[in-house]
Amino acid sequence: MQLARASSLLVLCATGLAPGLALAEDRAEFSTALFAEKRDGGKGGLTVVHPQADFGIDLGRFVTLDIAYAADAVSGATAQIYQVDAVSAATTFSDVRHEGSLSLGFKGRRSRLSFGTTVGTERDYVSRQIGGAASIDLPGRNTTFALAYRHSFDEVCNKDNSMLTPLEAKALLGSDPCDKKGLIFGKDRLDPTTMLGLTRWEEISIDTVQVALTQNLSPTMNLQLGLYGQVLEGFQSNPYRRVRIGPNAPQEHIPSTRARWSVSARLNRFLPKLRAAVHMDARFYDDTWGVLGGNVEAAYSQYVGKNLLVRFFARAYQQTAATFFKDAFFYETESTAGEYFTGDRELSPVRNATVGAKLTLISIGNEKPVWGLFDKLQFNLRGDVLFLDLVAADDTAANSAGIDTQFIYGNSLIDAVTVQLGLLGNY
Amino acid sequence: MRRIRALAFMLAVLTLAACGRQAVRASEKEFLADQVMIFDDDPQHAATNEHIRTNREGAAGGQGAGGGGCGCN
Repeated sequence: MQLARASSLLVLCATGLAPGLALAEDRAEFSTALFAEKRDGGKGGLTVVHPQADFGIDLGRFVTLDIAYAADAVSGATAQIYQVDAVSAATTFSDVRHEGSLSLGFKGRRSRLSFGTTVGTERDYVSRQIGGAASIDLPGRNTTFALAYRHSFDEVCNKDNSMLTPLEAKALLGSDPCDKKGLIFGKDRLDPTTMLGLTRWEEISIDTVQVALTQNLSPTMNLQLGLYGQVLEGFQSNPYRRVRIGPNAPQEHIPSTRARWSVSARLNRFLPKLRAAVHMDARFYDDTWGVLGGNVEAAYSQYVGKNLLVRFFARAYQQTAATFFKDAFFYETESTAGEYFTGDRELSPVRNATVGAKLTLISIGNEKPVWGLFDKLQFNLRGDVLFLDLVAADDTAANSAGIDTQFIYGNSLIDAVTVQLGLLGNY
Repeated sequence: MRRIRALAFMLAVLTLAACGRQAVRASEKEFLADQVMIFDDDPQHAATNEHIRTNREGAAGGQGAGGGGCGCN
């Protein structure tokens, strides 16, 4: 379920809807990523396998068609009750999400326009999205201005809590039925004996706007400034998660409206003598739930010989907690934060660091096509490790239970590993 | 607030000043055309990163605004 909502942002870049991504020739790209996270509780870790396939086809001189498919196979442990000791309440789960995208692009001499749609489905979440993007190179072709917009009509399967107060609301169980019509529309279920609602699909709408200005600053340096805004309206709780409030554990309850925005700046500098480049990236984020965040990233790319490109990168991230987030001990002993209560790690104060490397092997068919078909073939292998550090949201001196076991994420040095293999062919 | 506005104004002026037709001539774009200079030159890598972060960071989203700007096509 949580993976689906994430994807609503990503399709902007993954399907060619992102401004400036129009490519000049047919292409096919396949990749598979493996993400593995360490977790405590004797239930094993969390594993996500994420295959993707993208095809871009030129339909004449001015029109392009992009088709994409992605999936997530998720398995592992999760904590269903946010409490002082969430580890002992961990259970295992597995789910598969499928997502397909279609985008039609139009290319002018200095401009690009595209429209697209994406649908996603999994057991407890369906998503239907439409969007468009436009970009234009200003005279001199040193400045590109791009704009993208997307609206997502999503539905989340939930226990039918319509007759209950938030403190009485029951959490969805893995065994509860989540019926669908035509794979991408939710269908409520009634209990056949009582004729009362059993499960219902809650709506969530997501509007996302992105603006980007890309500028060539010199023959070896370019800059991109980005502005991002998003408004989410509807059911945003995790339907499975419960929060211990005194002796009870109702389904988590968070606000139904969230407005988010961020600004970012990215800089590339080519170093001709070294056949290398340095990359800098900084971003600031704010939202109406009180989460402030930011990250900085630095990377170095180096060509080795004619066909090998190596990239090293490091990133640091930190965020504050949402105004209604409390460490589990205080929900249990003091009650809710106003009317809300959540056990979402993404709304807690947290920081992380990532380091990794990527190898790219490039084959260009100068005289005859690579493998008899491709003008250019590129093989990518990248890996990175994530170090996670949870921070107390409340007074640690007054928290006799501490925060070490309120999430089931492990306290090992390396918290997660990502490996991605990819093959990109232009023909 | 005034400082933020002044900073935004300076940033806009500097950006616009760099938008002149001769900022970088077409004949000088060899390095800008290199794939390492294209923002998000590997969309699947960028999408995977964003996918992972959106499930681990409350402030994720809004990256991957696309490449462009080289004017080399």
